[in-house]
Amino acid sequence: MPVPGAEATDEALAVRAVAGDEPAFEDLVRRYQARVYRLAARLTGNDGDAQDALQETFLQVYRNLGGFRREARFSTWLYRIATNAALGVQRTRRRRPADPLDAFLPRFDAEGRHARTPAQLQVAACAEELLDQRLLAAKAREAIERLPDGYREALVLRDLEEMETSEVAAILGLEPAAVRQRVHRARLMLAGYLSELAGVKP
Amino acid sequence: MTDRIVCASGVELLMDFLEDALPADLRADIEDHVASCARCTAFVASYRATPRIFRAATLARLPEDLEESLLAFLRRRR
Repeated sequence: MPVPGAEATDEALAVRAVAGDEPAFEDLVRRYQARVYRLAARLTGNDGDAQDALQETFLQVYRNLGGFRREARFSTWLYRIATNAALGVQRTRRRRPADPLDAFLPRFDAEGRHARTPAQLQVAACAEELLDQRLLAAKAREAIERLPDGYREALVLRDLEEMETSEVAAILGLEPAAVRQRVHRARLMLAGYLSELAGVKP
Repeated sequence: MTDRIVCASGVELLMDFLEDALPADLRADIEDHVASCARCTAFVASYRATPRIFRAATLARLPEDLEESLLAFLRRRR
């Protein structure tokens, strides 16, 4: 019996939705739509694409709810669908191949020392103070689009949506070590990109 | 104090270091290196700030009119 006043779990709502309970499905939509939209906007870099990905995600959730296995968390299953939907929309809409961000990885001299000065290495930390907020927002979206495939979704889920590494691994079907490696390299690229944006040439 | 860590090897281990996921001796080596290296001290500050800066710069809110239109869209399609 549901406890009065207690919110139904995602999994309980999903079971009711599978049995044809439309309000239970709509409760799940209301519960997750803002988070799915935010995730999709970060993965696609575009509000219109995010809207399409949002619709596509919940259509697929509705059609595939019967295949949801209760040993997984509902949110993990949903975010896997949402991530794939967003990446799919982004792939079909991408206007031109994005220049990769590898050029922004840190550089070292022959002895393995940082090639840049401390001031150059520090500047990314001050990007918010040095840059116009709207410019930073536009450039941040562009930078995430330029992350290599596989790194973009790991970075977005782990660092921007602030999920645990183990959950990101479950969503992406990767080992946690692989998620950490990708997030780390993506952070290095983004830090180098921010440095350039805030004043250091690569 | 050892020379096991230079900037490049420290950078490779930085995420594990910041999440306290390294063996104690390796962790101590990195701490020693960063403490004595102005470049790594500066780089760690940038590396740590990067996720927060991108999180704030990419925050998108679901437009209010989309909330009901999503439900209406889904009702039409099922």
